[in-house]
Amino acid sequence: MTGFFYNYLHIYLFVALFLLFCGIAGVVYRRTLIGMLVSMELIMNGAGLNLVALNRFISPENAYGMAFTLIIMGIAAAEAAIALGIIILIFRKYGHIEGGDLKEMKD
Amino acid sequence: MNFGEIIFLLIIIVTMGGALMAILSGSIVYALMGLVTAMFGVAGLYIYLDSPFLAMMQILIYVGAVSVLIAFAVMLIGPLYRRPKEWTTAGKFGAALGVALVTLFMFVRFVTGTFPRGGNPFFDMTTKEIGRLFFDNLVLPFELISLLIVVAILGAIMLALFSRGNK
Repeated sequence: MTGFFYNYLHIYLFVALFLLFCGIAGVVYRRTLIGMLVSMELIMNGAGLNLVALNRFISPENAYGMAFTLIIMGIAAAEAAIALGIIILIFRKYGHIEGGDLKEMKD
Repeated sequence: MNFGEIIFLLIIIVTMGGALMAILSGSIVYALMGLVTAMFGVAGLYIYLDSPFLAMMQILIYVGAVSVLIAFAVMLIGPLYRRPKEWTTAGKFGAALGVALVTLFMFVRFVTGTFPRGGNPFFDMTTKEIGRLFFDNLVLPFELISLLIVVAILGAIMLALFSRGNK
């Protein structure tokens, strides 16, 4: 292997893929809503890492990937705020936050 | 193998271990700590990708804001007295094995065939280029992000007020 170990694209893509599948497994198997939200954050981290790595190695003459990663960070912050507000409402209404037996949110 | 490569391998191991801890641990607080660990690892990978501004924003937004928000929600929801039955031991090992195998298969099958092996291209994007891109070509998404955050703040306040008013 010539060059340094961290100058290869595939390692970053592998880590991003691993984060994506960890997030999918967490969303599928977690029962509490906060566990699902943590897994969603993992998926968004993987997406950001993927975009920055492809920007760094495939098209190093512009910075669109980095800009999109900053946009993803903003969207993740807004999504976490709204989702946690809804989760707290669900806890006040039902007394638990398991996702399986939530049927309605209308009062 | 020089010093930078050893640190790089350590960062990758920390990232993957944090992700596994975030989805496999039974307690939600440990899952949150695993998420923070994985976010720090991703910030280290951003530094290795020659974009330290993104690493700073990662630590500032994800580790500083989002994880504290989730921690507040965990504390507000209080003791999970009906402790949900989540992962059994066999389920943990099965899920870890499944994630590892599917990741490796997708990596070998699609990623290694699609993208060229990276060399060392010249990459020097500073915050000046990112700011110019945001105010030049990506003006509309930038403004939409600010609108989205305002709507999210208003929505969270409205949710909190209405739940308190109904009580």
